[in-house]
Amino acid sequence: MSETAVTSTPESRPPEEQRHSAGRWVKENLFSSISNSIQTVVFSAIILGLMRWILGQVFAEEADWTSVATNLRLLMSYNYPTDQFVRIWVSAAIVFLMIGLSLGAWRIDPGVSVRGAARTLISTGVLSLIIWLLLPEAAPGGISTALVIVGVGLIIVGAMVMQAVPHSRDRRLGFSAVLAIAVGVALAVIWLVPFGDYGVADGERYGTPGVSVASSTKVPWTIVLLGVLAFQAVGRALAPSVGAAVRRAIVAFWVVGPAFIIFLVLRDPAFDWAHVWSTDIPMAAAFALGGAGLLYVLGKPGREDLARAVGAMLVVFALFNWVAAFFGWYPMLQKARISFLLIALAVLLVPTFAGERAARIRFAAGWAGLMVVMHWLITGMNTESTLVIAAPPFLGGFVLTVGIAYYVMLVSFPLGVLLSLARTSKMPIFRVMSTTYIEVIRGVPLITVLFFFSIMLPLFLPKGMGISDLAAVFAGYTVFSAAYMAENIRGGLQSVRRGQYEAADALGLTTVQRTTLIVLPQALRVSIPNLVGQAIATFKETSLIAIVGGFDLLRIANSTIPNQPDFLGQKRPGLLFISVVYFVIAYTMSKSSQRLEARLQAGQAK
Amino acid sequence: MTITSDNSNSASLIQAGGRPPLWRNAAVLKWTVQFAVLIGVLGVFWFLIAEARTNLSAKGIPVGYDWLDDPANFQLAEGIQTVDSPERRLTMSRALWVGMVNTLRIAGLGIIFATIIGVIVGVSRLSKNYVAKRFSSIYVETLRNIPVLVQIILWLAILGSLNKLTADTGPIPGWVIISQKGISLPRIFLADGFYQFASMLIVLSIGIRFINKALRRKQEREGGEQRVGLKTFGLFVIAVVISWIANPVMAFLGPIFSAVSDGWGSIPQGVMQVLLSVLAIAVAALWVKRFLDSRRTPAGLAKLIDDDWFRMIFAGVAALLGIFVLLRGWPGLSSWIVNSGSDFWGVLADKFGDGRGAMPFDAMRPTLSEGRFVNYGDTGLTLTVFYAALFLGLVFYTSSFIAEIVRGGILAVPSGQSEAAAALGLNRAQALRKVVLPQAFRVIMPPLGNQYLNITKNTSLGIAVGFSEIVQVGQTVYNKNSQTLAVFSIYMIFYLACSLTISAVVNTVNRRLAIVER
Repeated sequence: MSETAVTSTPESRPPEEQRHSAGRWVKENLFSSISNSIQTVVFSAIILGLMRWILGQVFAEEADWTSVATNLRLLMSYNYPTDQFVRIWVSAAIVFLMIGLSLGAWRIDPGVSVRGAARTLISTGVLSLIIWLLLPEAAPGGISTALVIVGVGLIIVGAMVMQAVPHSRDRRLGFSAVLAIAVGVALAVIWLVPFGDYGVADGERYGTPGVSVASSTKVPWTIVLLGVLAFQAVGRALAPSVGAAVRRAIVAFWVVGPAFIIFLVLRDPAFDWAHVWSTDIPMAAAFALGGAGLLYVLGKPGREDLARAVGAMLVVFALFNWVAAFFGWYPMLQKARISFLLIALAVLLVPTFAGERAARIRFAAGWAGLMVVMHWLITGMNTESTLVIAAPPFLGGFVLTVGIAYYVMLVSFPLGVLLSLARTSKMPIFRVMSTTYIEVIRGVPLITVLFFFSIMLPLFLPKGMGISDLAAVFAGYTVFSAAYMAENIRGGLQSVRRGQYEAADALGLTTVQRTTLIVLPQALRVSIPNLVGQAIATFKETSLIAIVGGFDLLRIANSTIPNQPDFLGQKRPGLLFISVVYFVIAYTMSKSSQRLEARLQAGQAK
Repeated sequence: MTITSDNSNSASLIQAGGRPPLWRNAAVLKWTVQFAVLIGVLGVFWFLIAEARTNLSAKGIPVGYDWLDDPANFQLAEGIQTVDSPERRLTMSRALWVGMVNTLRIAGLGIIFATIIGVIVGVSRLSKNYVAKRFSSIYVETLRNIPVLVQIILWLAILGSLNKLTADTGPIPGWVIISQKGISLPRIFLADGFYQFASMLIVLSIGIRFINKALRRKQEREGGEQRVGLKTFGLFVIAVVISWIANPVMAFLGPIFSAVSDGWGSIPQGVMQVLLSVLAIAVAALWVKRFLDSRRTPAGLAKLIDDDWFRMIFAGVAALLGIFVLLRGWPGLSSWIVNSGSDFWGVLADKFGDGRGAMPFDAMRPTLSEGRFVNYGDTGLTLTVFYAALFLGLVFYTSSFIAEIVRGGILAVPSGQSEAAAALGLNRAQALRKVVLPQAFRVIMPPLGNQYLNITKNTSLGIAVGFSEIVQVGQTVYNKNSQTLAVFSIYMIFYLACSLTISAVVNTVNRRLAIVER
């Protein structure tokens, strides 16, 4: 992996050359031969021309960046009510703090060398000076002053660091230090730089140029960023002693946490507490405790056949509930139907995974936890929201983009695992079904799948059952993503050696045990880089929501803002801004995936 | 097929103590579960389709494809036919066809340009020059991390902010014009004599191929650098010149093709049905034979497992299904094949004949009329803004992926190979051409094919900028007549056909490049 080589030694030239003069480096890397010199000239011309052109787009005369500054809130969270905005901040804080904790708990440590960092500073400084030279006349005067100050400042700081730390005493800067510096710089920027204070209050837009951003933005960000720092330290401190338990808890949070944030924090359901106490909580408790007890009893060694028989009966009963629902024979809450199906599956799985007392307790406790979480979530989703929102979807903008991408990945993952297992299995009907599904979905463009779901799904549903537009689109994304997921996992499955299967058989494991305990862990480990690649692709593809009617980043930048009377037809600033947003996130993901890949390969080699 | 041929699991149980009970018999369980799931899935589908039918008929929307011949009643933004006229009706099917042609046109052009840019960037990422290396890596990282749809829409916004179109808009007024309306360039197009020229060139090329083989044999026999490639290329140039001048010679093909057309058209429908049925059976039989051959070992036919039986039965069922469709389900298919085959040869016959201009190609500058460009016909090439935005977005986005593929492919060739080539005395260019690139191609081809597929599928994003490709036209159609299900089936068939074509081409190339292992 050349990328990882680049990250470990930030410049591509070998270390011993660094002692030589810059002139020699230029001669060797830029003008070593005639063709090399031609390349230097041609590519420099292309780069300068492109930069000039891009700057022309950024600072075009009619392109007014106050459209982005004013609508930042719209771009981030769409029409979320201003008086409830603390909910957004709480959500952001939870996500950021958990990111900090995760970084610490997994001891993620992409350190940089001091001299490497200094070199980056110098080249950034040079870049801002070049930008200053290429700046078109339309650019505001403040920008060019800022560029000169930043450019010269960075070069001086970088050069001083280079002087202070000679090559022989180069040190590695730990991630905590890098993070602290980054947080410090970010705080300094939001407190000191005069971005101006723009926004919309009570339908009126306002703007004060020349001041730093509003304190309603500064203060929460300061708290959140410092919190990230603190939580990273906490995670690091916990990692050696109770690391495994903390990591399990964090994984559990990342699976259910975002749903809680979306449906309980952001959506703020108006619970009817009388109903909650009379129906919802007893029902959840019954399923959690009853199910846990059943699982504990049936999981005892020697009761496998009994468990399977009970499981089969429960499956029949659970499916019958749905048939009954379609014909309207007897009423039942949807979550009860789902719970019955889940308990049936859990009972079927109990002979495979339970056994010892401790294992049974774990299994039963896991079930109880699942029930509590699921019932809470479903109740929250089914309750009316208290929010009063100007334009109906309560989620939009960046939150929607990230939320959809995240949950599509999460939901399509188990589907993809099942599909890939079916496709590689020896059972012909399963294989044909799975192959057909995967190939048909992969053969058509995403947009047709999304249209299909948003238009056809309502037609397919029986009378009285509805589905919101966003949910239909989400279903389309999931169905699409699962097919690609399956192909990525299949690649991993094929890399598992035959000997592993044979060894599992020799140990007397059942097929399910062999698959879940031996084959899948190895296969998934191999397919992690591909899965991250798919996560990036999914994140980028969420921009297609704009075509099927959701208010994501692209839709807001491309049609909401240009339709505002103040910013009629101003598309370029918004589009450039969201391009940067998409780029930063996708680039970070791909870089960390490369690092992860290197780490996994290193693990493999040992 | 059921118990005896199953895996060791059940076999050992049988040995241990007679027949296992039914609910513990792996074979029985396996097939029960499979059929149960199959029936479940089919049941859900049946239920959903029944619901859709009820819902559609409640709204008074007929199910079927009869609407294809209805007049379209809408205009297309661009394409081989945009409006309805008395001499050329714009039916629904015709409109969809225009959309398909637009899709294919932009996909084909996009594939070519994305490949060229991608290869250049990918190779310069491996250059020794610092600036070239940096530029290429920034190019790749930037473009592949911004969603293609955002890029397309950004291009539309940028093009929309350009100058208005006048007679002296430029970079090169009259020749290359970049304006709000799009990008206009001079164009080389196929003139009257092209098909005669092409057929003559094909005939001559076959001859050149024989000469080439003979030259190569000579090279292998005698050794030394005999410049086989150069000589072949020279011969090809001569063939092009000859075909350019002498192509009216091929006019005799016209009458032959029209005779074939007549002959084809006189095949009765029944005969065609029988022929196609026989073909279906033959294909299935051939497949089964090849399958059995692959299972043959020196010790005789290998034991067939359930799965093998399933495959063979599946082939038979598929053939029978095909015959049923041909004979009963859709008899029109056979006559359609007869008619369109006849049409195909008829059209081909029209391309040849006396009195045609001998020029195979012609060139034109963009012509301005009433303040806008003429899009199609004997004029320059104009990419409308919608076309240009989609095209630029797709090309740059995909080229960044192709660049990575090319770079990876070249890096995948072990450095020992180029060192060995140097040790044999090949110079850098020779080593690259004869040793490194052929091996890199093997790694490059499969993911490259994937990217080509992606371009084709991503043309559907044209709907966001209003380019009349198949999805956008289809949407207009089902907004008019609510035939959503039928339009979606057309989408699916069209894109599957594209995928299959591209993967067939890639697989063929790949097979030719594969290492011959002994």
